[in-house]
Amino acid sequence: MKNDYYKSIGKTILKAIILTPGIPFILILGIGYYYFTTSIQTTSIDNIKRIVEDHRHMIESFMDERKSDLEFVMNSYSPAELVQPEKLSKILLDLQKKSDAFADLGIFNGEGLHVAYQGPYRLKGKSYKDAFWFKEVINRNYYISDIFLGYRQVPHFIIAMTNTVDGEKWIIRASIDSHIFNKLVEKVRIGKTGEAYLLNTKGILQTACRSGGNLMDKPLDNIDHIEKYSGIKSFIKKDFTGRKFVYSTTWLKNKNWLLVARQEKADAFSAFNAALYLIITILVIGGVIITAVAFYLTTRIVRRLERVDLEKENINQQLIGASRLAELGEMATGFAHEINNPLQVMKSEQSLMEMILSDFKENGQLPESENLKELEDSMKQIEVQIGRCSTITQAILKFGRQKDILDAKLDAQDFIPEIVNMVTNAANDNGIAIHQEIENRLPPIKGDPAQLQQVLLNLLNNAMYSMVEKHGVQGGELFIKAESDDNGKMKIQVRDNGVGIDEENLKKIFSPFFTTKPVGKGTGLGLSVCFGIIDKMGGIMEVESKKGVGATFTITLPAAT
Amino acid sequence: MEILKIMLVDDEERFLLTTKKLLSKKGYEVFTASSGAEALEKLKKQNIHVVILDVKMPEMDGMETLKKIKKHFPLVEVIMLTGHATVESAVDGLRSGAIDYLMKPADIKELIEKSEEAFEKRKRLEEKIRMAQAKRIMKSPRQIIKGL
Repeated sequence: MKNDYYKSIGKTILKAIILTPGIPFILILGIGYYYFTTSIQTTSIDNIKRIVEDHRHMIESFMDERKSDLEFVMNSYSPAELVQPEKLSKILLDLQKKSDAFADLGIFNGEGLHVAYQGPYRLKGKSYKDAFWFKEVINRNYYISDIFLGYRQVPHFIIAMTNTVDGEKWIIRASIDSHIFNKLVEKVRIGKTGEAYLLNTKGILQTACRSGGNLMDKPLDNIDHIEKYSGIKSFIKKDFTGRKFVYSTTWLKNKNWLLVARQEKADAFSAFNAALYLIITILVIGGVIITAVAFYLTTRIVRRLERVDLEKENINQQLIGASRLAELGEMATGFAHEINNPLQVMKSEQSLMEMILSDFKENGQLPESENLKELEDSMKQIEVQIGRCSTITQAILKFGRQKDILDAKLDAQDFIPEIVNMVTNAANDNGIAIHQEIENRLPPIKGDPAQLQQVLLNLLNNAMYSMVEKHGVQGGELFIKAESDDNGKMKIQVRDNGVGIDEENLKKIFSPFFTTKPVGKGTGLGLSVCFGIIDKMGGIMEVESKKGVGATFTITLPAAT
Repeated sequence: MEILKIMLVDDEERFLLTTKKLLSKKGYEVFTASSGAEALEKLKKQNIHVVILDVKMPEMDGMETLKKIKKHFPLVEVIMLTGHATVESAVDGLRSGAIDYLMKPADIKELIEKSEEAFEKRKRLEEKIRMAQAKRIMKSPRQIIKGL
């Protein structure tokens, strides 16, 4: 019952202690997590976007430079000059000085015949009339191809442009070594998994892919590359491996190539994950600390509460001893007094009845009979019971009418043995051995000799009663001990080896009308009166007992001043 | 022999009635009064020897009645009937002139015994008074003549 009460209080306190810091704690972490991760995500994506942007510029300017190189050559030399192998060789060398990417240089006439060629392959004299690039350059005057293998079976792309001199079309074409071009794009490295590559409109890789996927293959992730747009698109998508990647894509301006930069999401958001782990760690540690502190505090509070309650209960019990006893005394006195009047009437009536009865008997009006005997027995019982009532009321009146205490100085050395002597005969008759341990130099105490005598006699008689009950007329051991403590107070102890008092009764032992004696044998006021007397003397009366072992009553009295 | 005249003073009517019957049967002359005032009134009319007086009564209580009785009828012996168990309340009565006390509920035998004792005391007292008066007469017989 009581445990449940403390448990429910404990639960309430625990909840309050956990929730009060817990809710703001989780809120702060949640809000922090949200803003922090959002910002990290934005930063990571912006980072990739910036890289894409930068590389696009780089690639575009590379293309533009190569284009203007060719334009320069085309405008600076006449076709007649360009077809001279020495001249062309020198021009190629000049170009290659500017950029390694130039693999070769070729001049074509309007029919697609390779009229001059400078480079590592023997391509002179071949006709390109039907080549796709040739058709495109004739139509548009300028063309950059996708990567292809061509006659030479090596991946490369070409830049070609036409010029018309003297009504005759001629074409200059440079092959760009895709290997060198590749490096431009491949250089892009973002974090551990970041990479970049180019795709043509058919979705074919124009550069190699670090994560796998060779040049001119279809890349392993299906980028939505068909639709052309300006600016940069960013999105998160799963690739073929099922891992999520952050993508940033943009179309090049002067060529229909899509620049793709991507980084694995986990890598791009590694700071994000770190933040997440940090927050989870804080959450777990904080949660553990809050919970531990809450449990600790709750346990302490509940324990203290239990202790306070216990103390309160003890104080309450002592209060019963003092104020409630006085109140009870007053009430009981009034009650007893009122009962005494009808008792007096009853007693008179009973006497009268008895007298009349004996008159009848004397006159011979009532012959002896069984009924007469019963009647006389009943009459006797009424007398006995009235006597019993009057014993009780007398005891109550005694209890209620506690006199003022005389403040006499008492020497326990003399006083206690005198009282013990009064019970020695009774003790001997009941086979009880009395042991007195009275300290020699006891300080005089303050008290009322008559009342203290009443108290001690009461305790001694109780002890003897209890020992006789347990041992019969052999084996009782009564100890009377008197000693002074450090504060000048005196302790008188009466210890017996009688039946003892169980825990339940121990609580009520000083309550008025509480008795364990058989009906009619005790009023239950003795110890209550003793308690009141000692209390009035400024002392304390305590009891300790174990059922079946015995009881110890201790009186502590103040020293005489 | 002179019959003992007892007056019971108590506010409990039934007690008066029954005790009167009891005492009458024993051969005493019994008067009753249910208040202090009534008791004083009856004392004026009757030569009552012993009064059994309840301490606790409404209006004029036992102690007050006792004092008045002792003042106006010093020869009347009073036995206090107290509801209080302790000697102290009785002691107050004794100090104010009561000859003895009885504790409620009092036994009828005890009541009679104490009344008889009181009566004996009163008789001795009266005897002494008579003796003293007789002595005086002996000293100056003329006064008797004068008195006549």
